[in-house]
Amino acid sequence: MALPTTHVSRARSTSASFRLSILQFLADPQWLIPSMIAPIIFGLVSFELFRSAGPYYLTYAILGAGMMSMWGQTLYGSGWATGQDRTWGTLEPTIQSPTPYLYVVLGRVLWNVVSGLIGGGIVYLVVVAVAGGPPSLPNPVGFVLLFLFVMVSLAAVGVVFAAFYVYTRYAGFIQNIGEFAFYVGTGCMFPVVLLPFWAGPIALIFPPTWALDALRYNSIPGYTGFSWGYSWDLVGAVATTAAYAAVAGSIFHRVERHVLEEGSLDEY
Amino acid sequence: MASVSRTSEGNHPSFWGTFWTNAVFAPRTTLGFMRVDFVLGTVFVIPMTQMVFFAFVVRLGGGGASEIAYTAIGNAVATVTYSSVFSVCQTTDQEKNQATLEHLLVSPANRLALYMGRGLIPILISFCTVAVGLTYAALFFGVTIVPGTIPTIAVSIILTAFAMVGFGLLLGGVALYLRTSIILGNIFLFVGLLLSGVNFPLSSLPLAFQYAGDALPLTWGIAAIRASIAGDPIGTVSILWFAVVLSALASYGAAIGLWRVFERRALVTGSIARF
Repeated sequence: MALPTTHVSRARSTSASFRLSILQFLADPQWLIPSMIAPIIFGLVSFELFRSAGPYYLTYAILGAGMMSMWGQTLYGSGWATGQDRTWGTLEPTIQSPTPYLYVVLGRVLWNVVSGLIGGGIVYLVVVAVAGGPPSLPNPVGFVLLFLFVMVSLAAVGVVFAAFYVYTRYAGFIQNIGEFAFYVGTGCMFPVVLLPFWAGPIALIFPPTWALDALRYNSIPGYTGFSWGYSWDLVGAVATTAAYAAVAGSIFHRVERHVLEEGSLDEY
Repeated sequence: MASVSRTSEGNHPSFWGTFWTNAVFAPRTTLGFMRVDFVLGTVFVIPMTQMVFFAFVVRLGGGGASEIAYTAIGNAVATVTYSSVFSVCQTTDQEKNQATLEHLLVSPANRLALYMGRGLIPILISFCTVAVGLTYAALFFGVTIVPGTIPTIAVSIILTAFAMVGFGLLLGGVALYLRTSIILGNIFLFVGLLLSGVNFPLSSLPLAFQYAGDALPLTWGIAAIRASIAGDPIGTVSILWFAVVLSALASYGAAIGLWRVFERRALVTGSIARF
């Protein structure tokens, strides 16, 4: 017997999820602090270590710390929301609701990106205050546009991670134990080309690696990143981000079906 | 958390009973980061990834082999904060979360035994974390460890682990008054990287930051371990050991003091113990 079709607005679900994320953040804003404290400290430590290495190393420190803040928010935020759903017992009803879970997650990831941007901005202000002035940017407009694109690439990664976090009970482990590995692997504070050769292909799986390399080419004169240069970095960043966005929907569909069949969502 | 063994005076659990009960149960109930995968990750993964991260930062900044070795030792020791500070300070949160804090506050358990017991496993894990980190430093980051210095290094690590767990318990005491310890835990998880001479000497910081760094047990622990690795005379290392022990005693003392103050307030207000 065919069930009656339920009409739901996916946009409204995403919007409601986004709004709820803001309200939860306002009720308990502590989550901005963990994603900011480490990047601010890493930014200041890196600034101190880079101090004698030339004027553009301030840009390295700021970009790296800002990126770490946004990465942290994406990595933690996506997993935390799903983990909390599981703890509170709201994951099953949410998955069973007519709206695909992807659109609920999308709202959360969007908020994570926005709050990550806020965190990145605060990191920027602190490091600039300590350094005594902002870094010189040869192409500020290009910098801003690329920075926004880095956020989009992080959002794409956040959605795919969130799908994985529905499956795994090890989200906390990945977030806490793998934190530095992500920072190293995506070249948050230094170019990925400094890593051993075998690390390159792994790093290139992640869109932010490409986008951040392009951002450095744009903002640091004389920067030596990937040998293929700025333009191919952009192509790679757009292609990997599109690939993540494309697979996100399909992964979520499969994950939803699988967990409904298994019936083990509430186990943790 | 009542003890199983009791004294002849009646309902007062013995010191060692309370100590042992807490040592055994706290990792399963109230300490954070104590799942097997987390413990293995803390001991084996975090030291390596953190050292690699800062080694590359130093390299990009133009540092040579000696600067990388300096950073590697500092970060090998600094990873102790995960198991000693971040894990231990969550104990109060967990008690609140599980609604066991109010029962704990009215129990006659000896507070010193309770605190020391909770710190036992984290001290052991902290020791392992630093030992593994220093092994990585020797194998991959060009740090030379002379076999003759190993006993001195081991003593330095044990004292550092003891002091850092005391500091974690102190933060746990502060968290009794807060809604959560996560913020404190995160601050002190990383602040040592800046203020404790992990990546560069304290002397390169402004004077106020140097004083702040001196107040942290990690600063003295790192100094003792660096001196031990360098093969400094035992007289020099002993002074640093004394500083580590002093900071440990100050932390444990302050933790107990805070616990008493907030315990009284909790009993008067009837609300502090709630989540």
